[in-house]
Amino acid sequence: METPSTLFTGILGAFIVSTAAMVLIPHSQLSGLQPQVVWDEGQNAPSDVYPSKIEHSLGHRHGERIFVENGCFYCHTQQIRDPQFGPDIERGWGPRRSVARDYIYQDSPLLGATRLGPDLANYGWRDADGKRFWRNELPQAAESIVRNEAFIYKHLFNPRARISDSNCPSNPTLFEQREIGSGVSPGAVKIENGKQWVPTASARNLAAYLLSLDRSHELREAPVAKKEAKK
Amino acid sequence: MTESQNILTAATPAAPTATTPEPSTAAPKIQPAQSANAESIERAIIDQSAKGPVLTFFSTAIFWLIVSTFLGYVASRKLHTPNFIPGPEWLYSILGVEGIVRSIFDTNFTYGRVWPAYNTALIYGWCSLAGMGVATWLIGRLCRVSIQSPAVLQLGAWFWNAGVALGVVMLLAGYNTGLEYFELHRAARACIFVGYLFIGIWGLILFRYKRTAAPYISVSYLVAGFFLFPWFFGAADLLTSAQLPGVMKNVINAWFQGGLFNLWIGTLGLAAAYYFIPKVINQPIYSYNLSKIGFWSWVFLGGLTAMTKLNGGPVPAYLVTLSIAASILMIIPIACLTVNFSRTMAGHTDKMAYSPTLRFTYVGTVFFAIAAGLSVLGALRSVNSFTGFTTWDYGVKHALLIGFFSMVMFGAIYYITPRLVGCEWLSRTFIKLHFLGTAYGGATIIALFLIGGLATGFTLHNPTVDVSAAYTAREFTFANVMQDAGAYQAVKSYIGYTFFGLAQLIFAIHFLFMRLRIGQPAGEPTLLANPGEAH
Repeated sequence: METPSTLFTGILGAFIVSTAAMVLIPHSQLSGLQPQVVWDEGQNAPSDVYPSKIEHSLGHRHGERIFVENGCFYCHTQQIRDPQFGPDIERGWGPRRSVARDYIYQDSPLLGATRLGPDLANYGWRDADGKRFWRNELPQAAESIVRNEAFIYKHLFNPRARISDSNCPSNPTLFEQREIGSGVSPGAVKIENGKQWVPTASARNLAAYLLSLDRSHELREAPVAKKEAKK
Repeated sequence: MTESQNILTAATPAAPTATTPEPSTAAPKIQPAQSANAESIERAIIDQSAKGPVLTFFSTAIFWLIVSTFLGYVASRKLHTPNFIPGPEWLYSILGVEGIVRSIFDTNFTYGRVWPAYNTALIYGWCSLAGMGVATWLIGRLCRVSIQSPAVLQLGAWFWNAGVALGVVMLLAGYNTGLEYFELHRAARACIFVGYLFIGIWGLILFRYKRTAAPYISVSYLVAGFFLFPWFFGAADLLTSAQLPGVMKNVINAWFQGGLFNLWIGTLGLAAAYYFIPKVINQPIYSYNLSKIGFWSWVFLGGLTAMTKLNGGPVPAYLVTLSIAASILMIIPIACLTVNFSRTMAGHTDKMAYSPTLRFTYVGTVFFAIAAGLSVLGALRSVNSFTGFTTWDYGVKHALLIGFFSMVMFGAIYYITPRLVGCEWLSRTFIKLHFLGTAYGGATIIALFLIGGLATGFTLHNPTVDVSAAYTAREFTFANVMQDAGAYQAVKSYIGYTFFGLAQLIFAIHFLFMRLRIGQPAGEPTLLANPGEAH
């Protein structure tokens, strides 16, 4: 049995080693990370800055909060791995791997640790024109899917309406029942007995948040995989 | 020498006073040592002083065990039947509360909310409280000091409980920090931390006033656990509340998890295992030097292994490499611990037929070897690319939490409680059923997390046909993955959690009987079989 002083010194040493290696050194490395700035010749302003520091709207932050509150991140990751770790890019989840620079303006990135559902790192990018859909989400459908707000509302209201085996929870509380009145609202997910289910502010903000997810911009340390060139 | 004396007199069945008997769950055929009568009286006095706080820890821990098992069952059901509502629906409709129940389970008990609540109740509720209860008792025993001002400890226990309760309720209501295993709201964390200060500072002071430097490696593990927990918890709390650049919070989150699982839950469990195995079989530990190597390598490496879960993620690459190296080096403490436990038990395994404590504790250490071995395996990059992002990690964590730690705690509770309440466990059948349900139900849960994780991993890893067709091919659907995973989840709920939960209910009722002093008369320990009986 060590003397108490040896014991305490040793244990404190273990904590310091762990903190230095796992917290202090990465912090010094990450805190210096700046956005990538591209200057074109002869210009006074940079032609491209990524990621740009945009103040997110209240709605966007509310949407992110709804995402966290309902624990979406336990099943949906927001990170794309290099092809050597898994076929994330092949699957169409994003054009390149995610790197630390992608997240520098995020307070608490929702990287996630488990995939019981598809990755969402580039959800908005995948939707940009309705062509870059995530192919694996289409069991039967022949048409390409445009993932707009209406698509997200349907998924939030009942994920099993489109994919019968989905284990994603339904979120009826993100919707409210209203009289149809003058006409069916654009985002209505269900119409029954003269009533319609329309998305609440939470659902609208969540959809806006999801559609804003885009980490596809080319970075020097993570070049976009050249895939579509073969087509 | 104190060590051999302590060990030789471990199972003295003498009852020095009417109210403070010294029963024993050790193997039979041990002669009472007359010379140690004074010591057994002293032990009885120490036990008596520990009674209040230790029983508070145990009772509340078992409450959280039941809560977490229920939440775990719901979480497991939600993964294959997302609209699951527990209980008979006709009853709700008779009572007219169908709508309310439906709305609660659709809103507050979705997988994304019930899963963190489950983990919180399991780790911060059951595991931590049971661990601290056993640790309190062990410190008193090993340092040979009576517990002064137990009210401070009681207060600490209730603060901790209030924090866990607040945290679980707030998680179900949707207050989540977004950091795994650290989801508790800050108010709940503050409660837990204040509770810890009462408990931990008290424990360290007790250690300071110890009357003997008991040559038990358990003391080192206890000091390490109690000393390191507030540092990891407090630092993680401060750092995650600060403004940090980008993925730093994810890094801190992973670092905290290493501390939580290896250096808090792990060390408390190992301290108990290192005490109870030699105690019950009445033998010293196989190699003291081996246990020292095991201890120091565990403490130093335990805080460095956690980044493997960020493999391939957007973090500095050296972090993951360092963690993989540390994980591989973890083979050293794992080998030391496993060899020590198994060599100590060599020739004494027959005593597992009699002693509930030994049976639970030793099977727990086997689960420890499995859990630790799997976490080394899962750290390797080649394995990780299949197991990463799947439920494999949950399987490894469950092997540690419900395989190793809970089993060791059950063993300890079976040993300690009779010494505190003054009667013996009522029924050996209850203990046997509890063991069967915990071991096999728990193993089912662990195995299905692992197998389900591997199956999902292979499906997810399935390289797609052609890179050029990456955006158009449709051979593979996510629905397939969910079908695979769903089948495993279903077995996990219906067999794993059901049996595990029933066993814990039996245990809780049994413990309640003990609290009500319904049991066998003190003096003769409740053994699983009579000596000499075929088993």
